[in-house]
Amino acid sequence: MNLEADSTSFLGQRPLPAASRGSGDERSAKSGLLGFALRTSLRTKLLMAFFVIEMLLVSVGLIGLLSLREADQRANQVVGLQQKIEAYRQMQHNTLRQLYGVSTALAFPNETTLAVVLRQINQFGYDLDRVSFVAKDEVALLNQVREEYARFIAVVSNIVDLIRSGRAAEAKQSELAELGPLADKLERLTNQLVNRAEADMVAGIDASRQTYTKSQILVAAVALASFVLTLVLGHAISRSVIEPVRIIHDGLNRIAAGDFAQRIEVPNRDELGDLAAHVNSTCEELQQLYRSLEEASRHKSQFLANMSHELRTPLNAVLGFSELMLDGIYGSPPEKMRSAVERIQRNGRHLLGLINDVLDLSKIEAGQLRLSLTDYSVEELVNVVHTSVESLAADKNLSLRIAVPLGLPLARGDERRLAQALFNLVGNAIKFTDAGEVRIEVETRRDFYVFSVQDTGPGIDEADQARIFQEFQQVDNSITKTKGGAGLGLAIVKRIVEMHGGRIWIESRLGQGARFSFLVPARLEQQAMQT
Amino acid sequence: MSKRVLVVEDQEDNRQILRDLLASVGYEMIEAHDGEGALVAARTQRPDLILMDIQLPILDGYEATRRIKAQSDLRHIPIIVVTSYALGGDEEKARAAGCDAYVAKPYSARKLLETINRYLT
Repeated sequence: MNLEADSTSFLGQRPLPAASRGSGDERSAKSGLLGFALRTSLRTKLLMAFFVIEMLLVSVGLIGLLSLREADQRANQVVGLQQKIEAYRQMQHNTLRQLYGVSTALAFPNETTLAVVLRQINQFGYDLDRVSFVAKDEVALLNQVREEYARFIAVVSNIVDLIRSGRAAEAKQSELAELGPLADKLERLTNQLVNRAEADMVAGIDASRQTYTKSQILVAAVALASFVLTLVLGHAISRSVIEPVRIIHDGLNRIAAGDFAQRIEVPNRDELGDLAAHVNSTCEELQQLYRSLEEASRHKSQFLANMSHELRTPLNAVLGFSELMLDGIYGSPPEKMRSAVERIQRNGRHLLGLINDVLDLSKIEAGQLRLSLTDYSVEELVNVVHTSVESLAADKNLSLRIAVPLGLPLARGDERRLAQALFNLVGNAIKFTDAGEVRIEVETRRDFYVFSVQDTGPGIDEADQARIFQEFQQVDNSITKTKGGAGLGLAIVKRIVEMHGGRIWIESRLGQGARFSFLVPARLEQQAMQT
Repeated sequence: MSKRVLVVEDQEDNRQILRDLLASVGYEMIEAHDGEGALVAARTQRPDLILMDIQLPILDGYEATRRIKAQSDLRHIPIIVVTSYALGGDEEKARAAGCDAYVAKPYSARKLLETINRYLT
């Protein structure tokens, strides 16, 4: 896959790989807010969320403004009603004053009292104008009032004329018979107007109180709804973000742990969905890379295995013929020739040992080495190793001691491989020890046997101790020149022990000898997983 | 009458070693170069013992051993299987094929002779 093309399309609207799509169908059935949140891009989601919140704020504001306007209208209405009532009262007041003025003029008929009455008549014109201005809606009653006033004014004018012409008795008669009842009727009419206005005012105040309560409830409801909606939105968006991030995080952890076979499945089809798909494709590439590396490593091991086998075939012939020569099958060799053939034998065996080590290691690494599990006697195993290294120790004047508890029960494992492991350790101990002793010990530790090889050699620096179990490693490369060896022995021992599910360790101080120990299960019923 | 040993081995050098070794103790050696040759030689020459290599062309040592041991008139002939450097499981496979003994290369000529003598004397 092309990495470059992949990473550029990551930011764009790259369609998801087929696998993610297939499982997406079942998801598209998931309707509602969460489904929407999963399908839409992060940017759109955030924009929309902020837009919705903005709209909620604006709508709360609008509702507040509308309520204010309504309250203002109600207040204006109440003010209008008060003006109406004021005008009605003024009119009633002026009517009374006129009645009073007429009475005064009748009691003291002179031009002064009459002038007061006439002025008062003019006042009615203003009063009526004012009332008809503030109470345009009361057309029928106002017309009646206007008619009655016209009559009232006519009667008053008549009385003034009668007084001027000295007909006081007639004037008095008119006042009592006409003016009084007219004033009463006018008062009734204006009272009716006042009552109506007052009823309107009470209704208006009531309505405004109701409007206020309604607005309160509306604003509270909208605020509550906004709160809930914001919570739901926030939850949906954060779930659509946090959940996939967690899934991707877990997936990356698994990849880091070496599990390339997995796929990260997130329900999102947004940027996070793209990210998951991208991680998946990277994981596939890693897996392919890992596989090809594994294969290359296996080919290398296979090649080494084949090669060492091919090397061994002619070497076997060399060793075979030289052994026959030493056995005198072709006649007794002269001393010089015997010595030369012995050198051929020795070097040939050394070469064979190296080839066998390479073969062992490569077989183990290629996973081709299977343990052959049988019951074996620990004592016998140690004895076999002892026998095969006896002469080596004797050559260097080293004392070789064995400490194995008596009467150990039969153990189970790959006897030949364990013997090889112990042989390698003892062989190393003898090789690197110039004086003193090499001791082979076995002890039981619950369900395990611990094999130890102790020597009085140069010891191994702590810094080098971890390194020596790796292939091709020796403490000091100059040792290779004096002591020989390819540094494969310990690596093989470690692998054999690990295949038995055991472990190997070293205790040593520079100049004070070394003690190599390995621990294996006393009875191994199944080969341990190779690491 | 000298004992006859059938050597089944595809490498001439190895055959020469065995030739020299067996001649030195007076055994007669019959040779086969592959598994099929071994079957024919076993039937026609009736050897007293068979030394069977495992890695052989045409028919490998396991199969050749199995076929010889499947014939009632040949079953009594001891078969010593010789393999290259032994891996875990080779011995079981050889035993399962029906061989009587098992020797891993590289063998010491002396040790091999000891094993052969165990079956011939």
